Amino acid sequence: MGTRFDILIIDQNRLKSQEIWNDIVFELRRLDQIFNRFDSTSETSKINCEAITDPVHVSPEMWFILRSCQIYYTRTLGLFDITLNDFSKVLLDEKAHTVIFSKKDISLDFGGYAKGYALLKIKDLIYQAGVQHCFVDFGNSSILGIGHHPHGDSWKVSIENPYDQNEILDEISLKDQALSVSGNTPSYTGHIVRPTSVESVKAHKVVSITSDDPLDAEVLSTVFMMTNDMEKKRITENFKVQNIAEYSL
Amino acid sequence: MSKRKSKQVDTSLRQFIKDLGYVSGGAALLATTPWLQSFTPDKAKEIKKEKARIGFIGTGSRGTYNIHAILSLQHAEIVALCDIYPPNLKEASGLCPNAKTYTDYRKMLESPDIDGVIISTPLYLHAPMTLDALNAGKHVYCEKAMALTMEQCKAVYDAYQETDKVLYFCVQRMFDKKYIKGMQMIHSGLIGDIVGERCYWFRNHDWRRPVPSPELERQINWRLYRDYSAGLMTELASHQLEVCCWAMQMVPESVVGTGDIVYWKDGREVYDSVSLVYHYSNGVKINYESLISNKFNGMEDQILGNKGTMNLATGIYYLEDEAGGKKSGIEQLIGQIGNKLYASVPAAGPSWRPETKEKYIAHNILEGEFHVNDGLSMIGALKDGSDEILSAFCQACITGEKGKNIVEEAYLATMLCHMGNQAMAEQKKITFPEEYKIPYMKFS
Repeated sequence: MGTRFDILIIDQNRLKSQEIWNDIVFELRRLDQIFNRFDSTSETSKINCEAITDPVHVSPEMWFILRSCQIYYTRTLGLFDITLNDFSKVLLDEKAHTVIFSKKDISLDFGGYAKGYALLKIKDLIYQAGVQHCFVDFGNSSILGIGHHPHGDSWKVSIENPYDQNEILDEISLKDQALSVSGNTPSYTGHIVRPTSVESVKAHKVVSITSDDPLDAEVLSTVFMMTNDMEKKRITENFKVQNIAEYSL
Repeated sequence: MSKRKSKQVDTSLRQFIKDLGYVSGGAALLATTPWLQSFTPDKAKEIKKEKARIGFIGTGSRGTYNIHAILSLQHAEIVALCDIYPPNLKEASGLCPNAKTYTDYRKMLESPDIDGVIISTPLYLHAPMTLDALNAGKHVYCEKAMALTMEQCKAVYDAYQETDKVLYFCVQRMFDKKYIKGMQMIHSGLIGDIVGERCYWFRNHDWRRPVPSPELERQINWRLYRDYSAGLMTELASHQLEVCCWAMQMVPESVVGTGDIVYWKDGREVYDSVSLVYHYSNGVKINYESLISNKFNGMEDQILGNKGTMNLATGIYYLEDEAGGKKSGIEQLIGQIGNKLYASVPAAGPSWRPETKEKYIAHNILEGEFHVNDGLSMIGALKDGSDEILSAFCQACITGEKGKNIVEEAYLATMLCHMGNQAMAEQKKITFPEEYKIPYMKFS
């Protein structure tokens, strides 16, 4: 997924922690095999390649993912769009579990989704392993605080200003919660695209979302980079999130 | 030029020496930069009331740059000007109305009223003019590079051994504060052992001047023709190869390279793209690259040590043990827990993306503000040491004191340029020819 993954497990011994780590690495590699559109053997690549002409039968997991993206598309007023263009042209056949694109130049890009989905899976995995206290940092932008810090009642995370690393924009406390941060940086600007206009967001801005659900946080942090006030209000009503913060830099 | 202005600039050479932290005749001065020992504040006092009488051979763009520099000196006056191109001579004469004008430099050299000449002419004229001027009993300052061929370089070097006159070439980095301080740091071991040298000079310009009439093409755009110029090597690389040897205190023994006309296919004869590897006997290499159809990388003289990197042109150095910048959020968190601290983890922000290069902390070689040359001008940059070396030459015209190492450094840098051109032309490895080695050089 083109970034780094760090986890700090507090309440397990070395051997058990190593086992959990191995399981996480295995899971991340498996997900990369599904989502990586730069790998011609991934399921995403197969769909991107074939769904332009024919219905493509997808795996049960991909079916779940596509349905979930469709729901997010609706609940975000069409702003969360894994085609970065027009998700309404992605036709899902409920019975056959197939997908076909009804427009040329459509392709799937899970860039604003995959890390949130991965965190959801990893959260299940670590709960099942009996972990009660751990801190997960997935590329700085997707963070999970399970339980609490050994010397505190939660995990405190500060958000840095990407344009001035000495400035702290905010401090967020996480207790069994996920934090997702989106924004432009001096070296990487314009990667977020407003689907309806196909224009990239260039504002010096950072958005942070805190939620119980890592996937909601992931999706909304991207969406709130491009919303106007009216859209913000309407979209917020569709979600249960703990905190939405926007920082203009 | 007003007297007040002259005074201000005159103190700049003294200030320059002071800035470098030298006390008069100090041991440090002798050891690391012997060519500066004649220019201490005490020595400057000795010549306070005297003036070097200077004649200019060549009053084109670089000549005019040099005229302006000399005009601002208290210890020099311009008494003669010579050029074969009337518009340039006329313009120069406007700057120095009292100077006598010539169109034949040999005639000018006959004048007994000239102490020293400043030669700013195309490369192919450097050797004949320098030799004629020395023979005429004049002190000589000549632009770099030394000469168009290896044979000519050797002839000039040999003539210098025989003469009691002063000879300077414009190896101005030897008079650039950033370089002098940077070299002291390198030689004191700041960046450890030198393990590599990378120099490059990128511009995006055709290197041409407008030509008023076609028959003047070769005269004005002399840089582009092989009978007049040795191209990028002598015009640009010569400065940088000198710096490499100065840092290494050695001379490369061989070179390989390729040169081509990649983009400016306009009838020119010299390469617009060169890439060379110079090899020292201990295995250290100079990677040299110059391209004049893309300026993204600019110009740099970079000395790589096992403990740090010195970017001499921009005046910045980096230390290896400071790579990586700040610790990652999770590392800081682990540190906190180890210290039983509960504080926030500075992790969150836009997605971390893989980096192929670690961040380093930049340190300035000089304190305070200093000048950096962007390398784009064809004429010369401000405060790159040119003014200081000209001032030093004028002082030497009065004292008659030869400049230490200057001719030698210019000789070896120019020889390395010609070896590079030969390697590219013949597509083979060229080793330093035995017959052109001089006692100054160390190869191992």
